Amino acid sequence: MKLLEIERLEAKVEEKQILKGVTLGIGPGEVHAIMGPNGSGKSTLAQVLAGNDAYEVTGGSVRYLGNDLLEMDPEVRAAEGLFMAFQYPVEIPGVSNLYFLKAAVNAARKHRGEPELDAFDFSALAKEKAQALGLDAAMLQRSVNEGFSGGEKKRNEIFQMAVLQPKMCILDETDSGLDIDALRIVADGVNGLRSADRGFLVITHYQRLLNYIVPDFVHVMVEGKIVRSGGKELALELEAQGYSWVEAAQGSAR
Amino acid sequence: MASIATERSSDFYASLQPAEIGRLRPMSESAWRSFLEAGIPAPKNEEYKYLSFREMVSKHFGAPTAFDCTESDLQNFGLADTDGPRLVFVNGRWNERLSHLDAEPGVIVQPFSLAPGFDFEDIGSLAKVGKNPFVDLNTAHLDDGAFVSVNGTAAQPIHLIFVCVGDGHSHPRVWIELAPGARAAVIESHAGAGASFVNSVSEIHLNQDSALEHIRIQTRSETVFDFGWTEVWQESGSDLRSTNTAFGGRLARTDLNVFLNGENCHCLMNGAYFAAGEQVIDNHTRLDHAKPNCNSFELYKGILAGRSTGVFNGKIFVHQDAQKTDAKQTNQALLLSKQATVNTKPQLEILADDVKCTHGATVGQLREDAMFYLRARGIPEKQAKAILVQAFVGEVFENVRCESVRESLQNMLMNKFERNASSIEEM
Ligand SMILES: Nc1ncnc2c1ncn2[C@@H]1O[C@H](COP(=O)(O)OP(=O)(O)OP(=O)(O)O)[C@@H](O)[C@H]1O
Ligand SMILES: [Mg+2]
Repeated sequence: MKLLEIERLEAKVEEKQILKGVTLGIGPGEVHAIMGPNGSGKSTLAQVLAGNDAYEVTGGSVRYLGNDLLEMDPEVRAAEGLFMAFQYPVEIPGVSNLYFLKAAVNAARKHRGEPELDAFDFSALAKEKAQALGLDAAMLQRSVNEGFSGGEKKRNEIFQMAVLQPKMCILDETDSGLDIDALRIVADGVNGLRSADRGFLVITHYQRLLNYIVPDFVHVMVEGKIVRSGGKELALELEAQGYSWVEAAQGSAR
Repeated sequence: MASIATERSSDFYASLQPAEIGRLRPMSESAWRSFLEAGIPAPKNEEYKYLSFREMVSKHFGAPTAFDCTESDLQNFGLADTDGPRLVFVNGRWNERLSHLDAEPGVIVQPFSLAPGFDFEDIGSLAKVGKNPFVDLNTAHLDDGAFVSVNGTAAQPIHLIFVCVGDGHSHPRVWIELAPGARAAVIESHAGAGASFVNSVSEIHLNQDSALEHIRIQTRSETVFDFGWTEVWQESGSDLRSTNTAFGGRLARTDLNVFLNGENCHCLMNGAYFAAGEQVIDNHTRLDHAKPNCNSFELYKGILAGRSTGVFNGKIFVHQDAQKTDAKQTNQALLLSKQATVNTKPQLEILADDVKCTHGATVGQLREDAMFYLRARGIPEKQAKAILVQAFVGEVFENVRCESVRESLQNMLMNKFERNASSIEEM
C-alpha cells in the first residue's frame, strides 16, 4: 500500500485557486522531491496535507495509509504519523520547547493506546536527539521558536521530527536559511530516519540539499500542478536550465 | 457621589444595617451614616462605570446565620496549599477550630480579639471612612478581623481564608503590618459558595525596608457578589510583590491602592483573572508615586469567555516630588468568545518631570497559527487551547514566589478552563 496517494487535489485560499489538480503517490521507503518557482503552490500542498483549514480543498482526494486523510483533524494526522516541517515555524511565547514536545509525544502515544512517557524518559529521549542535531540543551528550555534564528528554527523542526518518529515526513524548504554545516547536520538527521517503511516529501529550491538527501523521484510544480516528474537527474537539469525550461516545454506540449 | 436605590429605606439597605446599631464603635456609626449618604454607586459613577448593581440591589442579603464549615468543605473549595499559620473566617466571623495560630517567633497571626499589640485605632487609618461606600459599609460592620504582624522573617507563608456560605452579607477585615526590615508572604483566599455579598477590606502597612509578598486569590462560586478593597502604605526601601487573582464571583470587583511614601520602594502589582458565563470581573488599581527613586511594575492579564465582561482601570499618579520614578504598566486581555468584552483604561498623571513611565494595553484572541502548529504536532484542539491559555497567564504566575501557591493557581486556572472548555470558540 502507498503511504500517501494524492489524486487531482485542488485547493484555494481566500478565493484564490492555488492547487489545480495535483496527483502524486508516495510509497514506503521512497524519497520524493518537489521543486518549483516561488508561489507555485508547494507550501500550499504541504499545509493542505497537514490539515491547515485556512486552505480550502475544492476537489480531489488524499489517502493516507488507505484512509481518507482530508477527513482527519490535523492532530489525528500527526498522531497517525504524518509530519510536516514548516517553511515558517511558528513562535509560541510562554510554552517551553520541551513541554510542547512532551505534550506532542504523549498525545500520539495516547492516540495509539500506549502509556504516556514520564518526564524522566522523555527528557532522556529529547536530550539524545537534540545532541545528534547539535542543538544545545538550553534551547529545549526556551519558548517554542521564540527568538530562534532562522537556522535554529529549521533545526528545531527536524529535532521534533526525530523525536516524533513519523511515518510520512513532509519537509517544506527545511534547507532554506541553513549554513553549510547546519545543512549537513539536518541532512544527516533526515538520512538517519530513512527506512524501508518511512516516506519523505522534500520541498526545496536547491539541488544542493538533494546531494545529501538523494531522492528517488523529483517533481516540478508550476502554477498548482505537477508538470514534470523524473529521477534525481531532473534536479540537475533544472539547476542548469532554470524553470523557464520546463515551463517552455509545458507550453509547447499544450 | 451619584447613587442608585436612593430609597434608603429599601429592603436592600435595611438588610445591610449593622445589628447592634447604637452599640457600635463611633467609627462604625459614622461609617454607616457615610455609607447611607453615598449609597451604592449609580450607573453614571465613573469609578463603577462598567458594573451594573441592578441585580445586586434587588436582593435582600440579611445577616449571615451560619459561621461554621468543615475541613472537607475547605478542601472542596480548592484552596492554595500551605503549611504554617492560617486564620479562617466563615461569613466574616473567626473560626477557631479551623485556624492554626502557631507561628514563628516575631510573627503574630491572630483574630483582632486575641491579638497582642492590636489597636482598633489603627483600623481605618489607611482605608479611610468617607471615601468609598464599600469601605464605609465594611467599617460600619467592624467587629473582628485578621491581624498579621511580622517582626523579622516569616519563613512560612501566612494564610488568611475567608469563606462565605449561604446568602447573607459579610465584611472581612484585614490588618497587616511589617516591622522595619521584616519579610513575609501573606495569602488571602476568598472562597465559598452561596449567593452572598462579601465586602472585604485589607490594610497593609510596610515599614522601612520590609518586603511583603501578598497574594489575593478569589475563587468564590459564580453567584457571589464579591468586593475586595486593599490599601497599601509603603515606607522607604520597602518592597511589595502583589498578585491579585480572580476566578469566581457573579460580580467581582477589586480595588488595590498603593501609596509609595518613601524613597527606593519597589512595587510589583500583578494580576490575572478568568471570567466566563455572565461574570463581570473588575480590577481597579491606583498607585501613588509620592517620593523620588521608586520603581513600579504592573502587569494584569485577563481571560474572558462566554458573555463575560472584564474591566481593568489602572491609575498611576506621579507626584511633583517623585523624580526618577520608573513605572511600567501593562494590561492584556485574551478573548475566548465573540460575546465577551473587556474595558481597559490606563490613567497616568505625571507631575514630576524626570520620570520614566510607560503603559500599554492589548486585546487579542488565541492565535490561529499557534493553534495549528500545536495541532499539527498531534496535540488535540482542547489541549492546544489550554496550553495557549496557560502561556498567556504564565508571566503572572511565574512571578509568584511561593511555589505551592503557584501550583495551586495553575490548577485553579485549568479547572476553570475545563469547566468552560465547551464554550471556548474558534474565533
Ligand atoms: N494565506 C494566504 N492568503 C492569500 N494568499 C496566499 C495565502 N497562502 C498562500 N497564498 C498564495 O498562494 C500562492 C502559492 O503560495 P505557496 O506558499 O504555496 O507557494 P510556494 O510554492 O510554497 O512558494 P515559495 O517557493 O516562495 O515558498 C502564492 O501566490 C501565495 O501568495
Ligand atoms: Mg513555500
